[in-house]
Amino acid sequence: MPETILTVRNIIKTYPGVVALNDVSVAFEKGEIHAMLGENGAGKSTLIKVISGAIEPDQGVIAFGAREYHKLNPAISRENGVAVIYQEFSLVESMSVAQNVFLGEEQGFLVSHKALKLRAGKVFEAMHVDIDPSAQVRKLSPAKKQLVEIAKAVSQNAKILVMDEPSAPLSASEVETMFGIIGKLKDQGVTIIYISHRIEELFRISDRVTVMRDGRYVDTLITKKTNRKELINLMVGRELKEYYPQRTIIPSDVVLEVKQISGLGDKDISFSVRKGEILGVAGLVGSGRTELANIIYGAMPKESGETWVEGIKRDIQSPDKAIEYGIGLIPEDRKHHGCILNASVQFNIALSTFNKNAKFFVVDAKGHKETARYYLEKFNIRTPSLDQRVTNLSGGNQQKVVLAKTLAANTNILIFDEPTRGIDVGSKQEIYNLMVELVNQGKTIIMISSEMEELLGISDRLIVLSEGKFMGEVPKEKFDQRYVIELASGHH
Amino acid sequence: MDKMKKLPKINLGGLKKYTVMFILVILMVLFSFSSPYFLTVRNLTNIITQNTYFIILAIGLSFVMIGGGIDLSVGWQMSLVGVVTAMMMVVYHLPVWLAVLIGILLGTLLGLFNGLIVTNIKVFPLIVTIATSTVFQGLSYIVSKANTFRGYPEEFLQLAKGKFLGVTFDVWLTILVVLLASFVYYKTSYGWNVLALGGNEEAARLAGIKTKAIKISVYTVCGFFTAIATMVMISKANTTNSMFGPGSEFTALTAAIVGGISFMGGEGNMLGLVAGVFILAVLGNGMQLAGWGTYAQYIVKGLILLGAVTFDEYQKTARRKAHKATTDQPTDKH
Repeated sequence: MPETILTVRNIIKTYPGVVALNDVSVAFEKGEIHAMLGENGAGKSTLIKVISGAIEPDQGVIAFGAREYHKLNPAISRENGVAVIYQEFSLVESMSVAQNVFLGEEQGFLVSHKALKLRAGKVFEAMHVDIDPSAQVRKLSPAKKQLVEIAKAVSQNAKILVMDEPSAPLSASEVETMFGIIGKLKDQGVTIIYISHRIEELFRISDRVTVMRDGRYVDTLITKKTNRKELINLMVGRELKEYYPQRTIIPSDVVLEVKQISGLGDKDISFSVRKGEILGVAGLVGSGRTELANIIYGAMPKESGETWVEGIKRDIQSPDKAIEYGIGLIPEDRKHHGCILNASVQFNIALSTFNKNAKFFVVDAKGHKETARYYLEKFNIRTPSLDQRVTNLSGGNQQKVVLAKTLAANTNILIFDEPTRGIDVGSKQEIYNLMVELVNQGKTIIMISSEMEELLGISDRLIVLSEGKFMGEVPKEKFDQRYVIELASGHH
Repeated sequence: MDKMKKLPKINLGGLKKYTVMFILVILMVLFSFSSPYFLTVRNLTNIITQNTYFIILAIGLSFVMIGGGIDLSVGWQMSLVGVVTAMMMVVYHLPVWLAVLIGILLGTLLGLFNGLIVTNIKVFPLIVTIATSTVFQGLSYIVSKANTFRGYPEEFLQLAKGKFLGVTFDVWLTILVVLLASFVYYKTSYGWNVLALGGNEEAARLAGIKTKAIKISVYTVCGFFTAIATMVMISKANTTNSMFGPGSEFTALTAAIVGGISFMGGEGNMLGLVAGVFILAVLGNGMQLAGWGTYAQYIVKGLILLGAVTFDEYQKTARRKAHKATTDQPTDKH
């Protein structure tokens, strides 16, 4: 009989106008890897915050064995052995690895850096990872930072380790390392609560998986006894097949050609893309895909290389030039680069056009309102009004606002950088539909994505990058996930 | 969609606009009880005419602030522009229009100087403008040789004395500036560029807005309005020296923040800003009539600035929290 280490019972948490957690009960066993699955807004993160003591539930009980609490604070949670690794790491960047590992531990009045380093070294040794305890955290890669976070939890003798989307910033091989480490922790009896969007991962490592939807507990399943389809159905509460709609257009003339582009770590990258085509760009995080997009768009400086748009060589040194030549970018970091969160939906949609459409500096407010209305309807953007601040919209709707802004500027070569990241399954489908609709209208799409499935599903052709180098081009007939992953990890 | 509609509408901007007006009215009522002299035409006229230049100055500053920056050098800009303009009239006997033109040109250049530095060395504008402020201070004393200049030509004095329809020219000028600034923010592409810059510089740049040029321009526009404010100030005083101006930056800054110009950029309205100036003015005037000393007023002003910044920050946090609540729930369901 497995021992239950943590139980949450009948947790209710409401925010003004929203029930974030609605009568949620889950039990976690000692030494299991327990995955939490659900769309954005399903309540996973809120539940984690209840467990870590970051927020107080309105009702319900949190029980660590026999100790029951109606509310926690971070200190009590920690005393009970809970350690949380959030997506945004909570490390002090300016301090050393060793200092971070033992941050918050009583050190006495005088700190012995040497002793700290030795102890940190031992923790890393036990984890079989190679990190210099005296290195400054700022200089570490995201993967190493995460390892430092894990080491921190280990040094605190954490009994329950909560990991929020831990694989998001990692490359494929780094994910393997992480899996190895959490496997070892599990063997030592640590309970791991693993939150992820990536269903494949859950099958790799988890023992059980709890599905949440709309702030409610749906079910807890033994991972071995379920399958991807069942999990997706439980997540969305209905039968749903991701599918990529029919194309009605055959790619024709080359509209964009880049020749030997170098800069920001990218070396000599050349490719071309046709009208009506979706060109996928595959590669691991750090392979230089986003940099390539930004160079083409003129958002970041290049060292050398040429860009030809519709057969004419163009010098694109700033985004306004790119837009002028019909190139649009839907950036990876939607909230910080794609829109002005505190401004209205209408203002955001007008962002790329109000200068051009102004007459003697007077903006065409009426025209922009009409444009915004048009896209609201066309893209089915769910917002109470045009004056709503974009920050109050959901991720999928924010993305549609960003897309509307880009299209309003009459762009016909669209670079989508991770267009579906952090967007729930239903909105993802809408984004795919929109993309296909756009190419059917004769637009051209370059799509960067880390999700192999959508990349293979929607693209006509792929190019693969690895560490800033062009690894090859893959035509649709040769689409094969394993082959692409091999190229992306630098193997020929 | 249904859930979205049920959400409380978060529109603190509008609330704030009315709060500022409300506070102004409350203050006036309070002070009218404490002193019978407060609610006289003469006193109210005084309050208005003594503050016209603060309004113009705060409007100049608002361009920088709404654009997401700050300019603490406007006080010493006024000092330098003031002594130069005065010397052009009193020492070099240039025609008034030319002296004023030189003064305004100088102010604009000082603003441009700030803008170029802020955009080229990427340091906090707070620090940059404290530094340039010290430079302007030195220049002002070198130019004026610590002299006081008075006895301006009658034409120049007309700016503060002359009347049209019973109202002095500087009040008309201020109304004009307020209307102009409102028009610029609501109706012109330039105003929208400034709002976009302050709202999110990188998103604005990626949307094709020439953020660097706009950033330089807001400091330049600020310098231009600062120079105009200087003209009103020295015309009203009929004298100037290098001590005229410094300190105004804090009054203008406080008024702007009290009036709802966000310290973080991206929002604000001109009417709120005017109300902000008058809240400070009414407080000062009321406290004076109530017999509080100047020093006590400094304390109150400082506390108001702190209070306004706290309120601004509180609103942002409240909005972030509300935002968290909305994104933490399923709005995206069909």
